[in-house]
Amino acid sequence: CNSTDALSLKQEFKQGYVIDEDAIAATPVGSSREQVLLSLGSPSITRDFGEGERFYYISQIRQRSVGFGQRRIVDQRVLAVSFNDEGRVDNIANYGLKDGRVFDFISRATPTGGRETTFIGGVLSGIGKGKPSLGGF
Amino acid sequence: CTSTDDADLALYVENIEPADRLYNQGLANLEAGRMTEAGRKFKAVENQHPYTDFGRKALVMQAFTQYRQGQFDDAIQTAKRYTTLYPATDDAAYATYIAGLSYWRQIEDVTRDQEETKRMIQVMNQVVTRWPDSEYVDDAQSKIRFGRDQLAGKEMQVGRYYLERREYLAAIRRFRYVVENYSNTRHVEEALARLTESYLAMGLVDEAQNSAAVLGYNFPDSQWYKDAYALLTEGGYKPQQSSGGWLSRVGFGKKSEG
Amino acid sequence: ATASRIDVRGNQRVDDQTIINYTGIRPGQNYGPADVDEAVKSLYGTGLFSDVSVTQRGGTLVVEVSEYATVNAVIFRGNKKAKDQQLAAAVQLQPRGTFSQAGLDQDVEAIRDVYSRIGRSDVSVTPQVSEVGNGRINIIYDIQEGDRTKIDRIEFVGNNAYSDRRLRDVISTKRSNILSFLFRNDVYDQARLRADEEALRRFYYNRGYADFQIISSDGVLNDAENEYLVTFTISEGERYRFGDISIDSTIPDVNGADLLREVDTEQGDYYSALEVENSILALSESVAGQGYVFAQVNPRGDRDIANRTISVVYTIDEGPRTYVERIEIRGNDRTRDYVIRREFDLAEGDAFNQVLVQRGKRRLEALKFFESVNVSTTQGSQPDQVVMVVDVVEKSTGEFTIGGGYSTGGANSGPSVELSVTERNFLGRGQFIRLAGGGGKKSRNYRISFTEPYFLGRRISAGFDLFRSTTDQKKYDTATTGGTVRFGLPITEALSAQIGYTYKVDDYDLDDCTITNSSTGANTCGLSNFIARDVSKGDWHTSAVTLGLTFNTVDSLSKPREGLYGKTELELAGLGGDASYYKLTARGQYYALLNQEYDLAFVGTVGGGYVDSWGGEDLRTFDLFRNSNKIIRGFEHNGIGPIDSGDHLGFQAYAHASAEVTFPMPVLPESLGFRGAVFSDVATVGGTPFSGVDESDGLRASIGVGIQWDSPFGPLQVNYAEPLVKKDEDEVQRFSFGIGSKF
Repeated sequence: CNSTDALSLKQEFKQGYVIDEDAIAATPVGSSREQVLLSLGSPSITRDFGEGERFYYISQIRQRSVGFGQRRIVDQRVLAVSFNDEGRVDNIANYGLKDGRVFDFISRATPTGGRETTFIGGVLSGIGKGKPSLGGF
Repeated sequence: CTSTDDADLALYVENIEPADRLYNQGLANLEAGRMTEAGRKFKAVENQHPYTDFGRKALVMQAFTQYRQGQFDDAIQTAKRYTTLYPATDDAAYATYIAGLSYWRQIEDVTRDQEETKRMIQVMNQVVTRWPDSEYVDDAQSKIRFGRDQLAGKEMQVGRYYLERREYLAAIRRFRYVVENYSNTRHVEEALARLTESYLAMGLVDEAQNSAAVLGYNFPDSQWYKDAYALLTEGGYKPQQSSGGWLSRVGFGKKSEG
Repeated sequence: ATASRIDVRGNQRVDDQTIINYTGIRPGQNYGPADVDEAVKSLYGTGLFSDVSVTQRGGTLVVEVSEYATVNAVIFRGNKKAKDQQLAAAVQLQPRGTFSQAGLDQDVEAIRDVYSRIGRSDVSVTPQVSEVGNGRINIIYDIQEGDRTKIDRIEFVGNNAYSDRRLRDVISTKRSNILSFLFRNDVYDQARLRADEEALRRFYYNRGYADFQIISSDGVLNDAENEYLVTFTISEGERYRFGDISIDSTIPDVNGADLLREVDTEQGDYYSALEVENSILALSESVAGQGYVFAQVNPRGDRDIANRTISVVYTIDEGPRTYVERIEIRGNDRTRDYVIRREFDLAEGDAFNQVLVQRGKRRLEALKFFESVNVSTTQGSQPDQVVMVVDVVEKSTGEFTIGGGYSTGGANSGPSVELSVTERNFLGRGQFIRLAGGGGKKSRNYRISFTEPYFLGRRISAGFDLFRSTTDQKKYDTATTGGTVRFGLPITEALSAQIGYTYKVDDYDLDDCTITNSSTGANTCGLSNFIARDVSKGDWHTSAVTLGLTFNTVDSLSKPREGLYGKTELELAGLGGDASYYKLTARGQYYALLNQEYDLAFVGTVGGGYVDSWGGEDLRTFDLFRNSNKIIRGFEHNGIGPIDSGDHLGFQAYAHASAEVTFPMPVLPESLGFRGAVFSDVATVGGTPFSGVDESDGLRASIGVGIQWDSPFGPLQVNYAEPLVKKDEDEVQRFSFGIGSKF
């Protein structure tokens, strides 16, 4: 068995849109909306508020040095394709990891309803379903 | 060999009591809070006098008793049987409403499957659409609002899960889903604030400004807007004040229907 | 036409108004022939009436009905094995429903079906219908259950590569034996038969028989004996070996050559479907690692009938670029959404990668929270988007166990009882919590354990244990109370590290025995001075850090046949507290399958340990190794090594090795799950910090036989070991018995 992979430590994860350089090259400024959809595929997200239509293709590369480690972002690329009113590409922008800012997110959450299992409920409900098993003899 | 008491079991039949007396006994027990006894009386009426007017009324009262006793699955079954047998009667609205309430009482918190919430919304919608002038429409609509709020809450919970792991694309799509499909729930404010955070974390400053602008335009005094505003100003930006044209197209929350 | 009045006739129970409602015609309202048909159809639709006629007579519309009898009560008599509730759910004719003879006949069959599913197809059901007046009837089913339908014999036709006996071990349907009521696996059931056919196919496909076919499989019921004879007719076909293995990739800079080492299938080996599957997974994993996430690996095998080889070509090409639009989790009524979602290394918006999906599915199944986990995909909102649906069916993860046991090792040998409450998915958060208490004649122990598998949002399993145990030895009693905080850190899929901190207090007191000189430990009850001196120290605090490393590639916990298991641990005591020593232990086990045909499994074990004091206090007898029964079978716990006035003191160092071969028990029917074992152990112990003590170090060896039973209560093991090389003062114990898994 290939025991080497059992020992290889560093793991790399490619997340989000998979970048294909020549597909990007095939959609220069001026190409139509259909061309972009054909070669780059459907965008990760589109602009919903604000002026003008824009496609965003978002990809991240993460690395985890050891099994229990954090999956750190090592590279992040956002390809922003903006269209003018005739639906032609008028600007292609690239954002990298350095553009992002790291800060703590707001810890509050809007409250929601629904039944929560209590401590005793949690322990008993689990047992309620299981039949007592006679361990040993 | 069948034992003696089995023999007369074959000929066993409850002694028939007049339907109205049994029914009123059921109602009396209900008022007095003796649920099991009330349930037994209504069941007896329905057994002995099926397809009679009292039998019909007893069936819906049986569903109500089962609901009050917390036997939600039975209540839903009984209510369904009523609406299939007597669709045209006005008690059918009440039976459907009881089924909706039974689902409502079983709704789990947002970290678990929201199957019951979806079923409740579906049943309460039946009450609103098929019996628009029944007395249960108002509460049915408020339960629908609660259900939609719960479903939005689940989307937000998954969105926050991805945001914590800094998987921004997944988080943004979940928050966008809330803004697009649940804009009339309380969660839309937080969704817009989270969008501002996610876009900023990725460096898409103008998108962050747009989201904050929509939040400010629709919910100027919400705490979420204050947080989003603070986040932007910290970075030296301000919510987009550019041409308000598209802003007016994006009004919801206070202006859109309830 | 219009009717001024509607007259309903022939109805006994259903009142007129309800019938008129169903006709949909109102007095005075105009109606045509179509409305009449509609009325008749809807009245029949209620299922209450055997016939209906709607005719106009003069000004009145006459609705003539005759009602079916309605069912007042359905009674089952004579049923013991199947409960009333279970039968009531299976039959169609329900109270308040309408009676029909066809319905009755169907229900008799339904009841027979319920019984044949629990292995009693020789049941007889006689229905009775009795009038109870007012057009209502009671249905009574008289049931004679007869006894269990057994499976007398399972035979195979056409197998010459593997014996009937070996194939019977592969399938789950078993012959009836005295313990069948326990396992319930001797029930003849079509679904189980299909599953057995699949098991046989996989067994043969994985051993080179690519042309294997099941010609027929059926059970013949011998009514007189109420037993089934199950026969599988199979055609094994030729046994193939792998021809040449090649990889051709249409992706430009992925070249097949250097991927060959990833592949399990090697030329010359016997053909195995499992190895092909593993190779596909390995290949797609390494190609995805190089960034080609959409790559798809498909095998193409072409047979060479003449010299019976199958050469395999793995084609790698760029698959469709599909992305995961959403991950929907369904069926989790108790488990929290994130406990399931976090097992996938895949987020929404990522490329849809089968390898990551399968790995996530395997991880979920390993949690043992679910009866079943299946992942399906539905079309997303865009052609290249897919919605991934994870459907789970939860199972009860709480256990309340009353465990009895008889152990011949350890301080509290003899019968013991243990009660424990365990919840493996506490509050649906995936946390493990267990409260256990128990004891034997001379001992009591209590333990609380808790583990959070995802500490700080990472794959770190953090937990704590609180324990208290009291034992009274022959001449003195000990009481230990303490707690441990522990962390499990997975490094790779196979290698993981453990870090822990333990604080415990040992308390000793002597039974009716006084110490005359506390510095030498001399005492009045003949206890070794060294032990007495340690006991006289009163309560003893130990504060220790433990560092461990575990490597585990064993294929299965319950039936290990291949793989390596290694564990080494360093315990460092002395950061505060009284004790100050370092204790290093290591243990390695190698599993190999010697022979496919007879399922002969080999397990080789090597291990060792060393303890010594450092810094302040010197070693106590209680700090030394005493687990002699664990390192060599045939000897008592703390029964070998340095000895002083008849009491063994424990030893500072040991090394041991063992070789064991296990095989299916020849005599007993294999359905009972017994395996025999032959083993030989060798160990050497020695080293003591005390002077003037008979070290009694040196080699010990023993050989023995054992029986292993995979019982419903957990793996049971009974061993008989005969010491060959021993010292006179060693305490021998030929029989040993225990329950519990090997790791």
